[in-house]
Amino acid sequence: MALPEVNTRYLFFTGKGGVGKTSLSCATGIALADAGKHVLIVSTDPASNLDEVLAVNLTSTPVAIPGVPGLFALNIDPEASAKAYRERMVAPYRGILPVAAIQSMEEQFSGACTVEIAAFDEFSALIGTPEKTRDFDHVIFDTAPTGHTLRLLSLPSAWNGFIESSTGGASCLGPLAGLEQQRHLYAATVAQLADPKQTTVVLVSRVETASFREADRTCGELKDLNISNQVLAINGLFQAKIPGDTIADAMTQRAQQALAAMPDKLAALPRFVTAFMPKGLVGIAALRALSNPEAAEADLASEAAPLPELPSLHKLIDDLEAGGVGVIMTMGKGGVGKTTVAAAIATSLALRGHQVLLSTTDPAAHVAAAIETPVPGLSVSRIDPEVEIERYRQDIMTKAGANLDASAKAMLEEDLRSPCTEEIAVFRAFANTVAAGKQCFVVLDTAPTGHTILLLDAAEAYHREVLRVQGDIPEAVRQLLPRLRDPAFTRVIVTTLAEATPVHEAERLQQDLLRAGITPYAWVINQSLLASGTHDPQLAQRGHYEIPFIRKVAEQLSSRCALIPWLAEAPIGGKGLAQMTEVLQESL
Amino acid sequence: MKKLEIYEPAMCCSTGVCGVDVDPVLVQFVADLQWLSEQGVSVSRYNLSQEPQAFAANMDVVKEMEADMDRLPVLVVDGHVVSTGVYLSRQQLAQKLGLSQDLPVKTEATEGCKPGGGCC
Repeated sequence: MALPEVNTRYLFFTGKGGVGKTSLSCATGIALADAGKHVLIVSTDPASNLDEVLAVNLTSTPVAIPGVPGLFALNIDPEASAKAYRERMVAPYRGILPVAAIQSMEEQFSGACTVEIAAFDEFSALIGTPEKTRDFDHVIFDTAPTGHTLRLLSLPSAWNGFIESSTGGASCLGPLAGLEQQRHLYAATVAQLADPKQTTVVLVSRVETASFREADRTCGELKDLNISNQVLAINGLFQAKIPGDTIADAMTQRAQQALAAMPDKLAALPRFVTAFMPKGLVGIAALRALSNPEAAEADLASEAAPLPELPSLHKLIDDLEAGGVGVIMTMGKGGVGKTTVAAAIATSLALRGHQVLLSTTDPAAHVAAAIETPVPGLSVSRIDPEVEIERYRQDIMTKAGANLDASAKAMLEEDLRSPCTEEIAVFRAFANTVAAGKQCFVVLDTAPTGHTILLLDAAEAYHREVLRVQGDIPEAVRQLLPRLRDPAFTRVIVTTLAEATPVHEAERLQQDLLRAGITPYAWVINQSLLASGTHDPQLAQRGHYEIPFIRKVAEQLSSRCALIPWLAEAPIGGKGLAQMTEVLQESL
Repeated sequence: MKKLEIYEPAMCCSTGVCGVDVDPVLVQFVADLQWLSEQGVSVSRYNLSQEPQAFAANMDVVKEMEADMDRLPVLVVDGHVVSTGVYLSRQQLAQKLGLSQDLPVKTEATEGCKPGGGCC
């Protein structure tokens, strides 16, 4: 059990939301400061909870952390940076250009790409100008730029020709073309990231198969960009201290299985493992305990906390059933169990005698396993994102690439690797599935994000009003937005875990949806230890920390919500899924 | 040297790949502009979200936008507005710029001219 070893000046922690990037960044920073170093922790994550973790109000300039001499932190909100940039770009033209022109300019600065690039701009300012951080021995970032951003900025054609002559355009760089002066700074930053003497990238993962798969993907992507100094940090390995508790034993076993099945590329990296922390990782004392877990195990709560009164998934399904046929979508970030919840709802509706179509983007094997015994009335279809993306890429390169020269082609290819494009590709298959909701219950574990929906809205308006080109939009796609916005037709179920980052991310998802004119029907809190009935001291203690998050979801964020316990038997197959809807009903 | 300026609506991407479908008109337009450059035309393309100063500096374009944002894209040849609200085809562009109509035919012809291919 150890924190990552630090041999470089720069350290980047990367991983999906909720894996513990911020906690590990802070614990590593504290350990270095305690060893006498001067350390700066930087957060550029829009969903950052660095303030909360360090119990300090942070700003965009370094603030000393009380109780840890030598440790400083700063928090940069890339959304605020993107907003400030937008204001700088737009303000001079107010009163000069027509109001409608100003509005359409502003719309272009709200995309995810703009924020991504704005975040990179902040990284560069710190890394590319050494005098800004010369007082520190180490600079730790709790987020890393995505492969997409790095590729875009490394691509020579992004910088020459296209932007300057504006005969084409890199879609994601476009809105920040004003940053062009920065190109040397960006080049220096990318080079710095790839220098193993300067930079270590820490891939953070939970002890779960899905989390390892994600880390493995990032590992390969960074290696392709010659960023080779990578280490793996496995966060929160659970080991039951006293055998006999069903939940604790199952959790121990599942962690061991996930470790044994780790992808080869990841398994080959230097590895650091930190233990499951029953008291969470908020506050300096809790973070110091990461390097000394035994000391933290004193005085664990002996009793499980009382369970807040919340409806079960069973009750939620009663309501869904009463609403009649239509589309039910589970939405949420990776790792919160969208697919499992979707499968449980679909199975339950089918067992009640309805015709149900379950559509998923999860690998086929998993879905087959999830409902291995055929359930009458239930059919399953799969949208394979890779197949859809490849089809879309080929389609476009054939249709559009033929007339372009090499640099224009390279640009188009990079556009096609953007996260937006991936979503759009999956989108058409999605639209067709949604159309089926007129006849039966359609349950989907995949949905476009609010940003994509807005993009489509804009794209549709764009095609319709601005260009007046041939309406090439399929009927199912044209009908999609009105269908998604109709609460009688589509019911969105936001899925989350009772933890800080997942709840925060789900809250942002809900805001995006509201912006797109879609109001979520309900929230589901999945994998609750509090509701699991465990008496294991470590897990019961952790259950206490779920309470404020459960309260927040139930009282502030949702109009309807349900709680699903962490289940000893994995929710696989008809029987496993039935536990999610039935067992809880008995316990309440 | 002939000068073509294009004032376009605020766009996320000029290829259209981030929309529900790649816009063949836009992609073709990119290729057509490349061809115009090869013919010695000076081409400048302005996107409202990226180069608002170019819009503000041209009163004709501001007037068009005030009338209706749908007038974008505005195409300007040697300082005169030649079209609004539409991306012209290669032939239309050649005509507006007073280029020989044979030119597009000639480039296509080297690849072999097929019936219905649009070149003959």
